[in-house]
Amino acid sequence: MSPGNRRRPPTPTSPSGGPAEPDAYRRIDHEDRAKGSAASARGLTKWYGEGETRVVALDEVDVEIGRGRFTAIMGPSGSGKSTLMHCLAGLDSVTFGHSWIGDTEITGLKDRDLTRLRRDRIGFIFQAFNLLPTLTALENITLPMDIAGVKPDKGWLDTVIETVGLRDRLKHRPSELSGGQQQRVACARALASKPQIIFGDEPTGNLDSRSGAEVLAFLRSSVNDLGQTIVMVTHDPNAASYADRVLFLADGRVVDEMLSPTSDTVLARMQRFARSAN
Amino acid sequence: MLKATLRSFLAHKARMILSALAILLSVAFVAGTLMFTDTIGKTFNDLSRTAAADVTVKPKKEFREDRLGKSGQQPTVPDSTVAAARSVPGVADAHPDITVTNVIVVDGKGKKVGLTSDPQVQAADWFPTKQSSVVLKRGKAPQGPGEVILDSDSADHNKVRLGDKVHVVAAPGAFDATVVGLADFKSINPGTTMLFLDGAAARDRLLGKPGVVTSVSLTAEPGVDQKELKARVVAKLGAGVDVRTRAEEADDASADLSQALDVIKYALLGFAGVSLLVGTFLIFNTFSMLVAQRTRELGLMRAIGAGRADVNRSVLVEATLLAVVGSTLGLLGGLGLAQGLLTLMKSLGVDLKGAPLVIEPATPIIAYAVGVVVTLVAAYLPARRAARVSPMAALREAGAPPVKSLRGRAVGGTAVTALGAIGLAVGASATKLDAAHGLALAGGLVGTLVGFIVLGPVLARAVIPWLAGAFPRLFGAVGRLSRENALRNPRRTGATAAALMIGVALVASLSVVATSMKDSVGKQIDQRLGADYTLESTGGLNFSHDVAETVRKVSGVSNVVRQRETEAKVLFDGSSETITVTGADPGIDAMLKQKYTAGTAPDGLAPGRIALPKSYVKKHDLGVGGTVTLRTPNGRTAELRVGAVIDDEGIGIASAGSGAVGLDTLAKLVPDLLDSVIMANVADGAKSSTVRAALEAALKPYPQVQLRDQADYKQTVQDQTNVILRLVYGLLGLAIIIAILGVVNTLALSVIERTREIGLLRAIGMSRIQLRRMIRLESAVIAVFGAVLGLALGVGWGVAAQRMLASQGLDVLTVPWGTIAAVVVGAGVVGLLAALLPALRASRMNVLAAISTE
Repeated sequence: MSPGNRRRPPTPTSPSGGPAEPDAYRRIDHEDRAKGSAASARGLTKWYGEGETRVVALDEVDVEIGRGRFTAIMGPSGSGKSTLMHCLAGLDSVTFGHSWIGDTEITGLKDRDLTRLRRDRIGFIFQAFNLLPTLTALENITLPMDIAGVKPDKGWLDTVIETVGLRDRLKHRPSELSGGQQQRVACARALASKPQIIFGDEPTGNLDSRSGAEVLAFLRSSVNDLGQTIVMVTHDPNAASYADRVLFLADGRVVDEMLSPTSDTVLARMQRFARSAN
Repeated sequence: MLKATLRSFLAHKARMILSALAILLSVAFVAGTLMFTDTIGKTFNDLSRTAAADVTVKPKKEFREDRLGKSGQQPTVPDSTVAAARSVPGVADAHPDITVTNVIVVDGKGKKVGLTSDPQVQAADWFPTKQSSVVLKRGKAPQGPGEVILDSDSADHNKVRLGDKVHVVAAPGAFDATVVGLADFKSINPGTTMLFLDGAAARDRLLGKPGVVTSVSLTAEPGVDQKELKARVVAKLGAGVDVRTRAEEADDASADLSQALDVIKYALLGFAGVSLLVGTFLIFNTFSMLVAQRTRELGLMRAIGAGRADVNRSVLVEATLLAVVGSTLGLLGGLGLAQGLLTLMKSLGVDLKGAPLVIEPATPIIAYAVGVVVTLVAAYLPARRAARVSPMAALREAGAPPVKSLRGRAVGGTAVTALGAIGLAVGASATKLDAAHGLALAGGLVGTLVGFIVLGPVLARAVIPWLAGAFPRLFGAVGRLSRENALRNPRRTGATAAALMIGVALVASLSVVATSMKDSVGKQIDQRLGADYTLESTGGLNFSHDVAETVRKVSGVSNVVRQRETEAKVLFDGSSETITVTGADPGIDAMLKQKYTAGTAPDGLAPGRIALPKSYVKKHDLGVGGTVTLRTPNGRTAELRVGAVIDDEGIGIASAGSGAVGLDTLAKLVPDLLDSVIMANVADGAKSSTVRAALEAALKPYPQVQLRDQADYKQTVQDQTNVILRLVYGLLGLAIIIAILGVVNTLALSVIERTREIGLLRAIGMSRIQLRRMIRLESAVIAVFGAVLGLALGVGWGVAAQRMLASQGLDVLTVPWGTIAAVVVGAGVVGLLAALLPALRASRMNVLAAISTE
């Protein structure tokens, strides 16, 4: 990942070289944006570096993430899939364009508001290092609520813990849990605060296939049974097959989309990418 | 490999800044002290070398000259020596010198003339030569008894101008004189006020005796060697005098000076020691953390073929690089420190007038040696740990290192601490001060210190949950996280806190001893000092007998008791020992209520008798009725019978190495002694304040006499303790500064180490404010933990030391609870301050960089 920093890059000229017209973008965006999506983006552009070394990570991406859906974002390395997720989740700043969580535009929010938004409305599952080593599994699960200073909803917490099947592991520290168990704790944490949307960044990337399948099945069921919205970045066609919809990214653009994917159809699509790239 | 080491050093240079700073401070103190003392030493040696005559003939040095001068017995040689010396072949000229230091000069406003409140004065005959340290700048040479020359620095300081009158108090009596000339120091001002009279006036006014001089300065004929000339002079004059060459005089002066500088030197080296000790922990922590963070890198190096020794060496080379950088900066810092100290000396009257700093070749060598040795010692264990990293570490997931059991530590540390505690207890049980008990105490100090350092991590686990117990309730998740963070690596927390612990322990123990001393002396004064008023001299000269007469005449004063003092030799078969003999009026018993193991005060002070302290009597196997033979500086001897044995030392007429006799007994032996102390009571029915006012008025003509009532007296004694306390607080300040560096260092490195964790916390919604608070709380709890350990240790040491010294008069134990509370609170504040930068840095971390996989 580029050593991006929290400062926004200076206002650039438009990608075509002419002057930028942010107002025009914004007007169109507001008109076109579908109502009721859990997250969305319009003209999302992200550059790293400047001048000669400039890298376009996202190139005017438009995305809608449906509520209560399980969306996978796929693409080869460097396609911008992780960047897209980071920008959608308010973890990274954008060069141009806009993105929303629900009806709240997050581009332009101050750090304090972004932090609160992440805390109250977004859940995260990362590939590795999801848990604080000093806290027990239960403490890790309730951490976002503890930070917010709110009492967790007891009943809901029970449901979540039951669903991830970790009741006998709650007092353990992460170092005493297997990789799969750790990711399940991370899932439970993401769910426990009832976020509007959960972002997963290769959540099964470090797991063996059996643990990975467990975690994915669990994510799937939380969408089916609890109505949770999940966006997951992955490069694994099998993982993507658990989603309702797959977005394919290449060179910073959304190039394709697939509904009701299976591992085979996703794999086939990915192979087409590889061939076209060659 | 060396290339890789260099690269790694440069890549991590930011992480080593604070370690370098710790080395810098330690080396700066060592180097600065050396440069300062070398500069002063060299400059003064040069001065005495130029000022001294080729050969000087002086009175035999049997007693301390300043003490003799103060008591009114200025040592002299007879005038005949001058002629005798002049007749020695090879002597070109012999000049009779009159030089005394027992005078006090007062300006027209009654203020002592000099650069400090208690100026040293040297009065001499005016005999300007090439060698003189001063030269007449304005006015003229003095003629007759009413004219003097003053040095212009002192004159300027007191705004004394040509033609002004000064009042000079000298041994033969006080006199007024007009300043007719002002003299400048040629090279440096040694901090002494100089007064010159013409030769005849100097003999008359300063010595008051005909036919004697204080020394004879001989000038050699060209080509005559000083040593050779000395031998000839000794042959001629015999053993009754001291003959010194110029080089010997200069060496004597240097020796005297270095003794005077010793206090400053040891104080500064104390600072250096504290910063070294504390700095060691800081460096140790830095390298431990660097090694832990680089486990994978080191594993990779091992995997591609680097041997254990290579890895070990690479860490030590890095440490050496750090040491060299730190020591170089430390040398520069030392230059600054030395310069600062010289400026400080200037404010005390010693002006080197821009003489260059002297840097002996040994200074940089010592500085680098100190820096390198300390750094290597501190880096030794981390280097060994680095060498033990297995090649497999490169493949393993980087994470928290497996927590090793602390059981070994707990057992070992407890054992060492227990041994140390026994040592302290043995030392504390001493009923008298001797080497064995002292050794036990010292061993106890070292044992408990080492034990506590070893136990640090174990204690961290035990104490921190308790110290931070209220954090979760007060600060919620942030509080819990900071408590857990402080506990997650007990070794690191222990080592960080140890730095503060050592400083606080040293200071706490010293402050227990110092406050106990203050209170013990206070108690002694309350119990023993019966005198309402005490008069003592503030200058280099005791006072003439008319002061006692003046005091007696003041209405409302009763019971005036005088004391006189002289040095004397107690003669044994074939050997002798110098003691101070105090002569006191019979009423002394009411003024200084001392206990006696045998006899009473009247017994001891009766004619022909002497009272001696218990320790002295014991040492020489004497008892009441035994006899001692005294020889006074004027050469008379007397056989005195022991009439009483003084039980304890401290405030009283006789302390260690001294004896007391009746004033008449002493007056018979040494007729011209001045009075050293006068004590007086307020008569029944007289009003204390009226009497004081009357006394003050009556003592106006004696500006050197200080009048103190009991409260003043106590204050004076306690002020002396306060000087020690101030030094102690200085040490505390330094120890705290370095300990702050240590905490900052640990936190900064921890923050880097926890980059991903911090990113995660930020991602799931921790605000920057909360993050900063988390780090500040962690820091505060570590600092308070260190302070608490240090206080426990230090108070233990202080109490043991006080118990051991109880027999020496330090019989009141005072634990300065106020100071202790302040230290704990201060440590918390220090912790918060230390966290400022690391917290800021953490809160500015990029969330993405923190959470993304490499």
